[in-house]
Amino acid sequence: MKNFSSLTRGLAPLFGLLIFIALWQVASGFYNHVILPSPLEVARSVASLTIDGRLWEHGRQSIIRGLTGFGLAVAAGVPLGLLIGVSPLLSSFFRPLVVALQVIPLISWLLLAMIWLGFSQVPAFVVFVTTLPLITINTVQGVKNIDLQLMQMSAVFRIRRSRVFREIYLPQVLPYLLAGVSTALGTTWKAVAMAEFLSVSQGIGARMALARINLETADLFAWTFILIGLGLITDRLLTYLVNKRLRHWM
Amino acid sequence: MIKLDQVYKTLGQTRVLSSFSLCAEKGKITCIIGPSGCGKTTILQLLAGLEQPDAGRITGTEDARVSYVFQEPRLLLWKTVAQNIAFVLQDVVTPARQQELIEEYLFMIGLNEYRDSYPKALSGGMKQRLALCRAFAYPHDLLLMDEPFKSLDTPLRLGLVRQVARIWQANPQTIVLVTHDIMDALLLGHRVIVLSARPAAVLDEVKIDVPLEQRNVVQEPLPGYHARMLAVLEAENKKTFPNL
Repeated sequence: MKNFSSLTRGLAPLFGLLIFIALWQVASGFYNHVILPSPLEVARSVASLTIDGRLWEHGRQSIIRGLTGFGLAVAAGVPLGLLIGVSPLLSSFFRPLVVALQVIPLISWLLLAMIWLGFSQVPAFVVFVTTLPLITINTVQGVKNIDLQLMQMSAVFRIRRSRVFREIYLPQVLPYLLAGVSTALGTTWKAVAMAEFLSVSQGIGARMALARINLETADLFAWTFILIGLGLITDRLLTYLVNKRLRHWM
Repeated sequence: MIKLDQVYKTLGQTRVLSSFSLCAEKGKITCIIGPSGCGKTTILQLLAGLEQPDAGRITGTEDARVSYVFQEPRLLLWKTVAQNIAFVLQDVVTPARQQELIEEYLFMIGLNEYRDSYPKALSGGMKQRLALCRAFAYPHDLLLMDEPFKSLDTPLRLGLVRQVARIWQANPQTIVLVTHDIMDALLLGHRVIVLSARPAAVLDEVKIDVPLEQRNVVQEPLPGYHARMLAVLEAENKKTFPNL
């Protein structure tokens, strides 16, 4: 029984994927390859992008831009979230700003970034402004959920403030922060492609724009799968690190 | 002498203490028993300085280093058993002394095999024992214990009561212990104070002169005191819950 269930758990997603690819193959028979390329054509496109180096050339750009924006968002969002969480005054001061940051349309940021920063900086900036609220809000949530009983315990035993911060605050905020980081990473690759599409000539998003103009739909599909792969890799990597670090006590 | 002198304390809408006075002799164990919600925990929190009285005075705790066993274990789940104890010791003793204290108290309370386990792997009773361990290992002048044996089965409970008695004898500090259990109080207290329902008032008070190691639950004067306190507590309970 146990064998059976573990077998189906491993095979079910694979089976689902196979059915999807089969349906796609059948459907592509009914349409022109400019409208819907077949899975084989897309696979060939991924292969040729990899072999002639375009994958690395443009993928690298997107990865650097994505991670720059994301890294800056973490660097700014964590301290900001901690401050907002700790201080009611700062909380009421920053709250409207964080909400505004969330509802400002992406296109406004994009156009402003083009005016303020020049085209090459736009993707990283867009990633930064879209992931910053995610990181900040999750950090605030973590601080709000800090166990007050543990704070009381530290007060009785007169633990130094810096240690209370490091050993009581941070470990309790960490799971919330990682949840934020996970969502933010998912958003990062979408945002970077979107921004590149509209602002630059290098990078995955830019190549997708080019593929569309040249009616190379198979390339469009290929880049999409590469973006999905990028998202999966970073998500798996994060899960692995989280499990390694938190499995003792979560 | 540690004293609460005509202390008033209101928590939220509830008047918990109203002109309440109590004293605890230094170097002795004072046990407080009373009905649930009568303000026992509040008394400990006032003594620890975690709460301030609305009116009245608390004396004798000014420079005291306080150690505390809370009703809940209050452990750091991201630290091992040994690290949980080290957490409170780190600022006050040398690293070598830390290791000695951890070793000594874990052994005494029967957790030495688990020193590198995380709290997640411990049972409820073991967590409570770790909290006891942490409180004893921390260098203190005053130890406050809030129902420290609550979630333990009777044999273990008695074993730990005996162990606490031994630890106190090795190092006679001031202890104020709050409990529901009359037997715990009689086995450990040099003085046992029985409190009324809220707002707390002292209903009865017993001084027990028998040395801790000679106390036996079936040997006088303990059974006599037990009967007397039970009668007082039952009468008090009748006032609050006439149907029980």
